Amino acid sequence: MNDWLPSLIPTLITIAVVLGAILTGCMYLVLAERKVSAWMQDRIGPNRVGPMGLFQPVADGIKILLKEGVIPSHVDKWLFLIAPAISMFTTMLAFAVVPFGPVDQAPSWLRFIIAPNIDIGLVFIFAVGSLAVYGVILGGWASNNKYSALGSLRASAQVVSYEIPLGMSVLGVVLMSHTLNLEKILSLQAEGGIAHWNIWYQPLAALIFYVSSLAESNRLPFDLSECEQELVGGYHTEYGGLRMVLFFVGEYTHLVTISFLTSILFFGGWNFPWIATPESNYFGAWLVKILVLLAKVLFSIFLIMMIRWTIPRFRFDQLMELTWKVFLPLSLANVVAVMFVLQFAWPPIVLLPFSILLFALFGFFTVTAKRMELSRRRRASLVMQ
Amino acid sequence: MQWLEDHWQGVAALVLMGAGVWWMMPRRTEWPKAIGMILALVGAFLLASRIRAAEGPVGETILFSVFATSAITCAILMITNRNPVYSALWFALVTLSVCGLFWLQFAHFLAAATVIVYAGAIVVTFVFVIMLAQQSGATIYDQRSRQPFLATVTAFLLLGALLATLRSSTSDDFHVAAQQTPAAATNLLSRPTENTPIDADTMKGLGRSLFGDYLFAVELAGMVLLIATIGAIAIAPRRSRGTL
Repeated sequence: MNDWLPSLIPTLITIAVVLGAILTGCMYLVLAERKVSAWMQDRIGPNRVGPMGLFQPVADGIKILLKEGVIPSHVDKWLFLIAPAISMFTTMLAFAVVPFGPVDQAPSWLRFIIAPNIDIGLVFIFAVGSLAVYGVILGGWASNNKYSALGSLRASAQVVSYEIPLGMSVLGVVLMSHTLNLEKILSLQAEGGIAHWNIWYQPLAALIFYVSSLAESNRLPFDLSECEQELVGGYHTEYGGLRMVLFFVGEYTHLVTISFLTSILFFGGWNFPWIATPESNYFGAWLVKILVLLAKVLFSIFLIMMIRWTIPRFRFDQLMELTWKVFLPLSLANVVAVMFVLQFAWPPIVLLPFSILLFALFGFFTVTAKRMELSRRRRASLVMQ
Repeated sequence: MQWLEDHWQGVAALVLMGAGVWWMMPRRTEWPKAIGMILALVGAFLLASRIRAAEGPVGETILFSVFATSAITCAILMITNRNPVYSALWFALVTLSVCGLFWLQFAHFLAAATVIVYAGAIVVTFVFVIMLAQQSGATIYDQRSRQPFLATVTAFLLLGALLATLRSSTSDDFHVAAQQTPAAATNLLSRPTENTPIDADTMKGLGRSLFGDYLFAVELAGMVLLIATIGAIAIAPRRSRGTL
């Protein structure tokens, strides 16, 4: 009993810090989303509350708190109440094994990871992430509304499908680092410096991972479960006030987690040439490292927000074709290539040209096939006339 | 008969618990659930008092009790619930509780893989199908169990047999089973390497064991799964309507 008591206090402090940072971060991500949207569309965006609209989240928060919590009479009450909680809880839980700073340089009262030394780190994240679909399914089913049910059906099919390329794409990184532990994957890249970031060896896997995680978190252009033109609001049509916000906090937490994962798995985590290397031991080095990691994460989030206003929403069959016919074979080929490199001890940089070649060849063949199909269809319609 | 005299308390506890579960099964007419609940609780309490708790740190014991209790409670709720969607969700909770027990035994990978496969995929498929099938509310045959008595008797006979086997085998047997036995040494499908204890609580040890000691078995299982997948793809499409 006594051996876990001393580690209890730093754990609690870390949990409190992470929880506070994520909740505040989510509030300001909403503001950032609105500002970025405004910037992309040549508008000004929210600018009434505080300087440059900086206090807008506070005003929104007060408004949401004071809203009446409506439970429609035709819903399944228990599941209706529990669904938003599941949605938020599962995404928060996934953050437990994500290191958000240099773990070995942490001060004694704080740890830069909630649960250190979890040997199966990545599998844990996927396990918890696979539970997140319950929030969506239950929310849709409990609402007892056709639009909600359709939205949740779409969401579950989408999430279950995209889990496969998501897991496959990180398999290459796992094979090359010989571990599933996120801390070790990070420190391996940090020791090698910028030339050993996994992005140089696994660019294709990084792309597949990033896009699949966008689909996992139901972000645009993959938000078919809540697309307004077809489904009103999708699975959260019947929700309002604080419960609706819980769904959104879940989505933004997911956004933060996937940005952290992308930075740690492929972009070296807190590593940056000169200012943040494993050797840098100057005063406040750990703060600089956290800031470097946060900068990478924020850039990734910014990219996701720009993608939102750049690429239009997919059609559902296109969405399914993308995962089953494109991502799955590509990620499989990538894993096989990593296996070859490891088995025959080739230099791992071979994977960079291979990934690009694979991407180009696959793109060439699919585009040619589509063109042929289109021209055949056109000819067939001409014959009909 | 001597055996029955020695173990009549355990048998009585099992019978009590079984009667309670049988009482709570969904039927055409609702029986008062409180009676079944009391019976099942008394039975479970008697059974738990007869099973010696493993000695360990306090935190672990508390966690074990929480996970074990929630697993059994959710399992009973799953089979006694009228609503199929709720049953599927209780099943998901059973899986999660059992995964908690796995985690306490340092089988981290097994726990996470079970969550991914069962709670994350299989139960989601169940819920999916139930939601699609029940567009206009549950029918009467969905709401009651078909053979409550036979099912309860079978399940509790199985449970009793399991408990009896566990009781008769001492803890030494388990240690022997994990190590090299003559039967395992000559078996082509499972050949644990000599004198290397399987380091199953790390991913590396588990992988080495699976793809070293048990390579043939793993490959065989993978082959069977592949064939099953191809079979499913071959069966599923409706060719008369032009799909695939």
